[in-house]
Amino acid sequence: MNETGFAVPDVASPPPVMKKRSPLLEFVISVWRNSKGKVGAIIYLVMIAIAIYGRFFPPYSPTDVQFSAYAPPSYAHILGTNYVGEDVFSQFVYGSSVSLMVGFTVALATMVIGTIAGISAGFLGKLTDDVIMRVVDILLVIPGFPLLVILSAYLPPTIWSTILILSILSWPFHARVIRSQTLTIRRRSFVLSSKLSGLGNFRIIVRDLIPNMLPIIFINSIFVVVGAIVAQAGLAFFGLGNINSINWGTMLYWFYNEDGILFRAWWWLIPPGVGIMLLGIGANLLSNAVSEVSGTKRQY
Amino acid sequence: MLTARYLERRVIYLFITFFIAVSINFFLPRLIPGNPVFTILLSRYGNQIKPQYLQLIESELNLRGTLWQQYVGYMSSLFLHGYLGVSFYYYPATVSSIIFSHLPWTLFLLGTATLLSVFIGVSIATYIGWRLGGKADSLISSISIGLGSLPFFWLGLIFQIVFGLMIVIDGQHLFPIAHAFSASVYPGLTFSFISSVLYHSALPIITLVLISFPGFTLLMRNTISTIINDDYVQMARAKGLRTWRIKKMYVNRNARLPIATSVALAFGSIVGGAFLVEVVFSYPGIGYMLYNAVTTSDFPLIDGIFLMITITVIIANFIVDLLYAILDPRVVLE
Repeated sequence: MNETGFAVPDVASPPPVMKKRSPLLEFVISVWRNSKGKVGAIIYLVMIAIAIYGRFFPPYSPTDVQFSAYAPPSYAHILGTNYVGEDVFSQFVYGSSVSLMVGFTVALATMVIGTIAGISAGFLGKLTDDVIMRVVDILLVIPGFPLLVILSAYLPPTIWSTILILSILSWPFHARVIRSQTLTIRRRSFVLSSKLSGLGNFRIIVRDLIPNMLPIIFINSIFVVVGAIVAQAGLAFFGLGNINSINWGTMLYWFYNEDGILFRAWWWLIPPGVGIMLLGIGANLLSNAVSEVSGTKRQY
Repeated sequence: MLTARYLERRVIYLFITFFIAVSINFFLPRLIPGNPVFTILLSRYGNQIKPQYLQLIESELNLRGTLWQQYVGYMSSLFLHGYLGVSFYYYPATVSSIIFSHLPWTLFLLGTATLLSVFIGVSIATYIGWRLGGKADSLISSISIGLGSLPFFWLGLIFQIVFGLMIVIDGQHLFPIAHAFSASVYPGLTFSFISSVLYHSALPIITLVLISFPGFTLLMRNTISTIINDDYVQMARAKGLRTWRIKKMYVNRNARLPIATSVALAFGSIVGGAFLVEVVFSYPGIGYMLYNAVTTSDFPLIDGIFLMITITVIIANFIVDLLYAILDPRVVLE
């Protein structure tokens, strides 16, 4: 202590050595320490592991038809077989890779488009804001599923058409959230100080805005993953997109169209739905954990 | 409170959205290289169509002239005559006649399911919102999260197997798994018809409600948890108001406001759910017709159904906007 009342560090002694972690790593660790976050993360890590590596170790080929059809679960086929005798467990494992690929690709595209549109609207304001927000409002009002159906009916039936359509349609909601976040954050003092120290708009956006929005971007994207998987399943159920690709949606399409109901083949029906439900529960747990840790709320 | 300016802005907005939906309908088939409608007609009936009739078909499909001429023709026939074209599959029935005979079933499912979901969601939320962190709260919240992330048609299929086929009482299945009413009753305002309709709609509506209500419950629960700590609630407590009065007049009233906005957004997703559930239960609404149109590549019908359901949702949103302005006077001032 000196006469000013402030503690003055002793120049002679070396500064205390601290293990400096990046704030992002700190954040990930504290989400992992949160019990909800841990369960949610485990669900996703297991699902991603199944999607990436599962296809190398399935018990059978997902298109192997040498088994008897509509066989209930047994030791040889833990989830039974479907209408042509394909092993349901192998189909589920193989199909998870396509479904998760759709979910994560759409989420990535949505985040890129939505974040750019939202920040432009919120940061540039005026005419840019007006134009982007009118487009967003209109796209949000048009009912999503019928729009998906009509677009898919006209585009070639491939999984990439489905990904393209879902990406085009899911960014508006995210853009709206990002815009309102931009409007609040840009009034904070650290943005002002960056501005006064002469940083350009681009560097302010990259260094001040985006790092502060990472929690909300994460929360939105995890729900887009689930939403895209459910939407793709719904389109596949309508016979749209590539119905011969093996994924959770097309499993349900064939279940419905090959009278799985009349055979009461619950072992064929339950796995895709449970897979989707687990991802949904995981998304909610992860988003709750992220909002508890960061203090950001999920926006509806 | 409603001001003329607010009303004017909403009406203009209504028309712009409507106009864009119509334009999507017009441009989509024409932007895809080699008009799919024309291609399908030719590939199906190509050898039966005499060359001199090709022009006639082109003008019937409004494919003659420049894009601008087609656009004007399309708009005028739509707005002046409500003409949406002729269905390929149900030829010569017009698309509008098909839609109007099936739309009431969809509106019935949608309306009932939305109202029930909001009512159940709000009631449950007002119950658990005051017991935050308790056992009931965590139980109901977890169940809501699980239910809310299920695909509509998957739950419909499960209900069909369980309640339509597996559970048998006195040699009878518990619920019908297809159609809107049984073949033995005639449509009309008779007791047997109405009860048959209600009986057949039970499983579809339960499916829709079970997946839609959790969104409202979670939203309102979270709103209550924020409002409870607001200054004016603390003030009400401090001056000794009774708990029921704080609940009813201070918290619940305000917590219901975000519900009104989310109803508009949720309505769009319930439409998608209703379409899928109609397919599962072979329920004769326009979702089921859309499914048939997709499987038979009946493009005029696909376009018409998209347009009609979009108009329905836009109008529903418009009504919700007006109601919201009455519920919360602050929005008009924005």
